[in-house]
Amino acid sequence: MLKKFTYTFGGLALLIGLWGFYDRLATGHENAAYGSYVVWGLWVAMYLFFAGCAAGGFMIATLEYLFNIQIFKGTGKIALWAALVSLGAALLSIWLDLGHMERVWKVYLQGNPSSVMFQMVWGYTLLGLILLVSLILAIRKPESQWLKIGMGIGLGVSLFVSGAVGALLGVNAARPFWHIGLFPVQFPVFSLASGVAMLLTILGLFGPKQDPNRPQQLWVLSIASVVLLIVKLYFMWADYSQSVYGGVSMNVAAVNQVLYGRYWWAFWILQILVGSFIPLIVLTQPKLAKHNGWAGWMGLLMLVGYAVARGLIIFPGLTVPELQQLTAAFSGPHLSFDYFPSLMEWAVTLGTIGLAILGFLLGSDLLSLYSKNSEA
Amino acid sequence: MLEVIEKQDVLVRMHEDLQRALKKKPEERRWVMVIDLRKCVGCHACTIACIAENKLPPGVVYRPVLSEEFGTYPLVTMKFLPRPCMQCDQPPCVPVCPVNATYKNEEGVVIVDYDQCIGCRSCITACPYAARTFDFGRTYTQGTPDGMPFLFGQTNADDYERNANVEYGENIVREGEKSPIGNVRKCHFCLHRLAEGLLPACTTTCIGRATLFGDANDPESLVSEMIAHPNVMRLKEDLGTEPRVYYLL
Repeated sequence: MLKKFTYTFGGLALLIGLWGFYDRLATGHENAAYGSYVVWGLWVAMYLFFAGCAAGGFMIATLEYLFNIQIFKGTGKIALWAALVSLGAALLSIWLDLGHMERVWKVYLQGNPSSVMFQMVWGYTLLGLILLVSLILAIRKPESQWLKIGMGIGLGVSLFVSGAVGALLGVNAARPFWHIGLFPVQFPVFSLASGVAMLLTILGLFGPKQDPNRPQQLWVLSIASVVLLIVKLYFMWADYSQSVYGGVSMNVAAVNQVLYGRYWWAFWILQILVGSFIPLIVLTQPKLAKHNGWAGWMGLLMLVGYAVARGLIIFPGLTVPELQQLTAAFSGPHLSFDYFPSLMEWAVTLGTIGLAILGFLLGSDLLSLYSKNSEA
Repeated sequence: MLEVIEKQDVLVRMHEDLQRALKKKPEERRWVMVIDLRKCVGCHACTIACIAENKLPPGVVYRPVLSEEFGTYPLVTMKFLPRPCMQCDQPPCVPVCPVNATYKNEEGVVIVDYDQCIGCRSCITACPYAARTFDFGRTYTQGTPDGMPFLFGQTNADDYERNANVEYGENIVREGEKSPIGNVRKCHFCLHRLAEGLLPACTTTCIGRATLFGDANDPESLVSEMIAHPNVMRLKEDLGTEPRVYYLL
């Protein structure tokens, strides 16, 4: 029943997304709400989110294939598949964000290795290849030594690419809200948190119900989710409180926008209440945390919170003018410091989510990725 | 009897400076811009001249003039700050480009290779001066009525927009999805004008002669003289970007 509903939701999302994809491809970026001041919008935030899920999903898969942790036996293949689908969604999001999509090859053949974006593109490409090979090996030759080697290399790559996302933002001294030395350290933790929440959602909502290991798996994942969520909240508290205490005006303005300004509802309602507080309460109750439905839905709420959190990292870093009087200096389309995604942007993101959902469900149905181990 | 004071217009002097500079090898020149804030009256002529010179579409601006009001009535005053690209000697926009599409040319001007730029906009996030804008592909005549062909209406009126501009000395036509649509664009000190022995458009149109331009490697040049003054400053110097645009206070 739930799977049918999810298929329908994915199909509808893709249907709406088709209009968005058409609009994007037919009219370029004209109908986007981002501009020359808020240059990165919803798609970049979703890229960060999906890329985090991909790297985190891979990290989780190493629990079975690299570290041989008994309780996670049987979860590796579905984690790898979810990571691969997430990576596809991430790359689609960021590809559509480019001004010249047809020139993406230049990053590979005419790139600038000192650019963090270049390093990220190469890193994610490598991660994608490792993910694909690892998944094939996990399905066909799970005992192969190559699988272990691949997972070992992939773990390093997934940590590197997650850190690179943090560095992509952190190297911008022009944006004090992003210019945080520990961003490259924080982002791998964010990725791991996303990966754990993703697996919790998948196992809770779509995993075989008869698996005797399931309650224990859900409990371990719930505890891990809670710990990572608390660490994540602590990072945020450290960043925000130091920013406000330090009093650098651009920083304070950005934090105020999140806490009390135009994004207050996204922060307090979606990220804190829905994405953090409710899952924290539910997942610390052993009975609920071991329940498929409760655990799965809480994982989903956390994922929503993490997606919103990515937006609340990207947008406020750009919606505060570098020079105060710029807001009124020159007016024209796409010259605004106010940002809320346009209908076309939402449609494209919905379409990407729809594709990811359908891709994930079809793959998990056709490839029987919930392996026998999980039912052993 | 009235005494006539003969004084050379700074435009004439800068023109002479420019001719001297152009005789040097490109790498021996150091183009700088000096903006005397005491003389800027906030007329925005430089902004308009820049838009006309480079045929900038809606939403793309290379040189806005920032204005700020001080005091309370009746003691009110205004301050203006023209903001071209700073052509930083340590430009934060350059290393972040994943495809080397933006770089300092041999004359030290930060330029964008439109055919190389993938439109990721990383450079915009890196610029502390918001000196870069993205070309979203809009035109001024977009959405206006199309009247009788060849007489009036959009078809006729947008000829100007459809014809090529000459940025970087190339014939650049904006149409469809072709560059510079989908690219990041920025002030380039009117390199195409310099190549022809002309000063940047913003400099020649400044009614208060507040914008000065020249070769700082030439000790005889006006700009060298000006940046030696103690009342000179550069924007956000603490970021270590080493801007080539100086302001006189």
